[in-house]
Amino acid sequence: MTVLASVSLATFLVTGLAATQFRSQPLPPSNRLAREQALRQSVNQLEDQNRALKARVQTLQASVKSGEDESARRSSAAQQVKTQLDDEKTVAGLTALHGPGVTVLLHDGSDPNDPADRSLGWTVHYQDLQDIVNLLWASGAEAIAVNGQRIVPTTAFHYAGVNILVNNGSRLSAPYTVTAIGDPSSLATGLGNPDQLAELKSRSRIYGLGLSWVRSTRVSLPAYDATFLVKYAQPLS
Amino acid sequence: MPNRSADRTARTQRLIVISLIGLALGFLIVIQLRSQAAVARTLAAQDDTSVALLINDLNRANNQLIQQTAALSQQEAQLRQALTAGGADSQAIEKELTMLREISGEVPVRGPGLQIGIQGSIMDFELQDALNSLRNAGAEAFSLNGYRIIGSTPIISRGQNLLIGGRSLSAPFTLLVIGDPEQLQPAADLSASTLQTRVQVNIQRKTDISITDVIASRPLIYAQLGR
Repeated sequence: MTVLASVSLATFLVTGLAATQFRSQPLPPSNRLAREQALRQSVNQLEDQNRALKARVQTLQASVKSGEDESARRSSAAQQVKTQLDDEKTVAGLTALHGPGVTVLLHDGSDPNDPADRSLGWTVHYQDLQDIVNLLWASGAEAIAVNGQRIVPTTAFHYAGVNILVNNGSRLSAPYTVTAIGDPSSLATGLGNPDQLAELKSRSRIYGLGLSWVRSTRVSLPAYDATFLVKYAQPLS
Repeated sequence: MPNRSADRTARTQRLIVISLIGLALGFLIVIQLRSQAAVARTLAAQDDTSVALLINDLNRANNQLIQQTAALSQQEAQLRQALTAGGADSQAIEKELTMLREISGEVPVRGPGLQIGIQGSIMDFELQDALNSLRNAGAEAFSLNGYRIIGSTPIISRGQNLLIGGRSLSAPFTLLVIGDPEQLQPAADLSASTLQTRVQVNIQRKTDISITDVIASRPLIYAQLGR
């Protein structure tokens, strides 16, 4: 009953959102093809803008860093804070890292085309990525990336239609690669524990959904491709 | 074991919810999704609803990035100003340091947000799902029964309890979230509607929440700087 309620709520939200979007799009009158084209064009433009903005953020980060370096050379007070800042940037995911670890590979299985099975269990859902990331943290991972997107404190996975999005509008698509730095054997033991990822593992058996991992002596993770904004939380002194 | 079957029931329930949402979506977009789901998730193969949702999210992400560029420009100007004057502004660096410590859960924080009461036991993935959608709605800090939770805090079910970063917590739970209550509320409502199949959940907006617990940063043993 409540499941139904939640589903209707989700449906309502999805429909509402979609309706809002359609209304706000400048569309050529009653031309379905043109409309579809306009929608896809909007996505392309927004993704171009997204890439340009990320490049701009990275350029600014570099200028800020050079300003900080210069300040640290001039003042010992600044130098002291700067040393702490560098450590904190590493903790938050703003620094590229490498080290031993594991690489987890995931891909969709095949559609059973069974009218009695509408579970969509054969596709990789964002929740599966979230579960793998959580398990890797629990197994001692020091840093994680998914398809080249660094997992940072603010990272959230979610659906936009059939698209899985992460970190400021980055679209992830199959196959998925989750890379983690840490003790390769602890990480692999965590992944191999039959009590963990039980649902995903059974879907892997039923639908041929791909789930595998390899240990590695060296994996490489990029830095987070943007920065953080804190608008509501204030330090409590 | 009873917890094993509870786990299975909850996981089945989650799969049912996922699949029903999938079905609802499918109903919206009719046949398109079914024939195209096997195809790679490229734009050309997507239905209009998915594309419209993507547009909505991209707009939001780009606005966030624009705000980030503004904040960085301001920070740069502040640093340059002191440098031009022949000095150094360590306060500008301090400000960034504090912000990163808030994000990483290393300092106590306060601000507006939500207080979410959960009156029964929940599974690890249910808490994960809730935290994930609250983060997506801009949550900046969390605590569960007084313990700070950050992105890398492992959440594992142990029977009826939750192991949060190794500490065992049991129901009832109080989840504190700092962020814009306006944005957080719909995300919390959606999570609550899923949880309320089994447990009672109440959500209160608060103008001032304090999260005092902190997390000590772990030294990196395996990771080294650089790619």
